[in-house]
Amino acid sequence: MCFPSTTADVAFAVTTANRFAIPFVARGSGTGLAGGATPLDGALVIVTTRMNQILEIDADARRAWVEPGVLNLDLTRAVSHLGLHYAPDPSSQQACTIGGNVGTNAGGPHCLAAGVTSAHVLAVEVVLPDGTVEILGGLAPDAPGLDLRGTFVGSEGTMGIATRVCVRLMPDPPEIRTMLADFTAIEDAAAAVSAIIAAGIVPAALEMMDAQATAAVEDFVHAGLPRDADAVLLVEVGGLHGGVTHDASAIDAICRDHGARTVRIAADATERALLWKARKSAFGAVARIAPDYYLHDAVVPRTKLVQVIRQVYEISARYELIAMNVFHAGDGNLHPLLVFDGRTPGIWERVHAAGDEILRACIDAGGVLSGEHGIGLEKRDAMPLFFSADDLDVQARLRDAFDPDGLANPDKILPRGSRCGELGAIPDGAWV
Amino acid sequence: MKLHLDDAELVACVGCGLCLPHCPTYRVTGEEIASPRGRIAAMRAIVDERAPLNASFVAAMDACIQCRACEAACPSGVQFGHLMEDTRAALAPQRSRRRRAVEWVGYRALLPNRRVLGFATRATAIGQRLRLVPKRFGLPPLPLRAPETLTADAAPDAYLFTGCVMDAWQRDTHRAALRVMRATNARVGLPDAGADCCGALHVHAGRYDDAVRLAGRVISAFPGDAPIVVDSAGCGAALLDYGRLLDTEAARQFSARVVDFSTWLVSRQLTLTPSDTVVVVQDPCHLRHVQHAHEPVAAGLRAGYDVRTTADDGLCCGAGGAYSAFQPELSEAVRARKVAAIRAAAGGVATFVVASANPGCAMHLAAAGLDVRHPAELLEARLGND
Ligand SMILES: Cc1cc2nc3c(=O)[nH]c(=O)nc-3n(C[C@H](O)[C@H](O)[C@H](O)COP(=O)(O)OP(=O)(O)OC[C@H]3O[C@@H](n4cnc5c(N)ncnc54)[C@H](O)[C@@H]3O)c2cc1C
Ligand code: SF4
Ligand code: SF4
Repeated sequence: MCFPSTTADVAFAVTTANRFAIPFVARGSGTGLAGGATPLDGALVIVTTRMNQILEIDADARRAWVEPGVLNLDLTRAVSHLGLHYAPDPSSQQACTIGGNVGTNAGGPHCLAAGVTSAHVLAVEVVLPDGTVEILGGLAPDAPGLDLRGTFVGSEGTMGIATRVCVRLMPDPPEIRTMLADFTAIEDAAAAVSAIIAAGIVPAALEMMDAQATAAVEDFVHAGLPRDADAVLLVEVGGLHGGVTHDASAIDAICRDHGARTVRIAADATERALLWKARKSAFGAVARIAPDYYLHDAVVPRTKLVQVIRQVYEISARYELIAMNVFHAGDGNLHPLLVFDGRTPGIWERVHAAGDEILRACIDAGGVLSGEHGIGLEKRDAMPLFFSADDLDVQARLRDAFDPDGLANPDKILPRGSRCGELGAIPDGAWV
Repeated sequence: MKLHLDDAELVACVGCGLCLPHCPTYRVTGEEIASPRGRIAAMRAIVDERAPLNASFVAAMDACIQCRACEAACPSGVQFGHLMEDTRAALAPQRSRRRRAVEWVGYRALLPNRRVLGFATRATAIGQRLRLVPKRFGLPPLPLRAPETLTADAAPDAYLFTGCVMDAWQRDTHRAALRVMRATNARVGLPDAGADCCGALHVHAGRYDDAVRLAGRVISAFPGDAPIVVDSAGCGAALLDYGRLLDTEAARQFSARVVDFSTWLVSRQLTLTPSDTVVVVQDPCHLRHVQHAHEPVAAGLRAGYDVRTTADDGLCCGAGGAYSAFQPELSEAVRARKVAAIRAAAGGVATFVVASANPGCAMHLAAAGLDVRHPAELLEARLGND
């Protein structure tokens, strides 16, 4: 393990790893949910936490150069006095690093309107897997040449290590309205989500929590969330006064039409922060139900939300597991969590079986494997479910172009056997 | 050698990492092993016998300031304070003889005996004047003479808890607290003999037997049911935990009477003369993360000062009771972050005062060159007499 503090340190670590032919893994805060930063086979872990300086803020051009270990929320706090913020806000934003966000192409509640990390990264300085330093992308709106920056964002450390990131900063909306709608049936909440989008409204954020999640976070934040609700929707709109007022009243009406018991509007910034704290604590609060969780990150078409949610509850009930749903409803990014006590004998088999069934239900509904958490180690062996052998081969060759020696976070994202000609090495249990 | 930790508390950590940015030692080192999640994982590895209990484990545990910011930040409600106290208790017999001797003098001889502590204070004060006490101990200039005694009212509406080090070194703070309390027309009592020390440092060091004995003495020193007002955040947190420590009805009733000085003032009438002096409020960890009672401090001072708060979610200052003596390097690195946050909050004004409701934090920050006062002293200075 090493703790570099400069680009040169990282380059030195990578070169050294090359010299001894040992694999290396980049690590930020280790909040990743797909095992991307887990070292395998005695890999060298290159931790970026000490590269935590904001190097340059250009308020006029609305961009900043930051080191990869800067925490997402620290960046927003550092620019808030300028009326700016960094838009992608994963629920882990207080803890995760910009480098990790680039690695996983992280999303967040406010990415519904603003777009995910890739849309907010203008350029990245990377130490390539052979130890050379390059800048991918550029400050121009459309940098000339192939978009290697776009390839790098979301590569989960398999194409090198980001050592400086130029991020886009967004102006704070002049007015914000945050609403909490409370439903007695989760199907109604899901129908309201579709209706809001169908009405042509683009909320800044549109999040759903089911009964389990709502009760667990309420125990922590004491935000006055309705413990007896079957689901709550957290909706935020931002912009100019007229638009915000119009959208807010339209959303209020749609929610009530779809059976919302109450629609609460945050009275001030404090209440708004409290509602967001509730939403963003959900994963962290699961131990109030049981100490372990297993989580998927599938994106399903919004029209199939109700059907898939029903299936998740049905499958988990069949395996006698507790399911908890908390997710970015606006873009159909489900996070079905199976919550359990890992000390129970035989429970892991049940969890994995239920997890596989849930995943298959998502795919059958036309969904994809990961909305934002990445593939890493955990979802790797499910890749052949979505991609043909040709697709995987192309991805493997792209990766090889960056990392011919296969030292940068090997055995992540792509299952062994992705390259044509090594098909014989497909792991047990993978469906081809 | 085994760790005896509550299994349910240990497995409650889901490893989400939401506590990391709130941990002062993680913030200054960036190392997982210096974080709450890393420390819990290390404890778990020992309990599951996957790792040996060796010197590096002990070092990792000792580097924790026990600020409990992680506990306040944890959505799953992991009781980190208990886990760390239980770990320290298991490690105590492992310590070097020298460390055990130092601890014995501190925890058994000095803190619980008002007279011995008073004598030692005088001796140290003389040593300081003769330049025999090294600066790195970070001690403030101690009073040479025994401070004037405090006077109690009969039939009190409230008690003021006085404690050990604070009473020996900073009795003037108590005097200010008494004046402010009386300015609200309260009759204020003082504890009977025996309430020499609350035992907070003993609990943190895992010396439960000592702590239980001290707690018993404290409880019997406050007859009746008047509220017990505490002007030291660390002591207040300890007194509030007596119910759990002793697990008796009497202890629970006692804890229910304990209230922080600024919180007690919320329901009283106090008139202050306004001023434009800038005051930056520092939230002691044991007030904010443990008692969740930091907001009344700033609120109470607003009538008399231009009050500012720091934007660091109440990050620790690095004092941590005996921590600053045992871990000087980390302690100073953590303090440097805090001082920067305080200066940023002051927003460029040349002179400002820091309000700290905990004597340990106050001394630690003063040693970094800040002008630190207790909220009671700041309130006393603005008592409405114009
Ligand atoms: C409570 C909770 C809520 C979450 N909510 C969300 C959410 O709403 N949206 C979302 O997208 N994710 C979410 N996540 C997942 C996680 O926080 C994100 O994936 C985040 O981007 C990871 O950042 P990190 O600094 O912890 O990276 P790590 O976990 O340390 O690493 C993640 C991956 O990025 C790679 N990496 C790290 N640093 C670099 C670098 N400098 N250069 C190249 N690669 C690098 C690693 O090798 C690894 O593959 C959540 C996690 C938790 C625990
Ligand atoms: S916030 Fe709680 S559950 Fe999450 S890592 Fe920290 S201690 Fe563990
Ligand atoms: S008590 Fe404080 S120093 Fe110790 S792990 Fe928790 S946050 Fe870190």
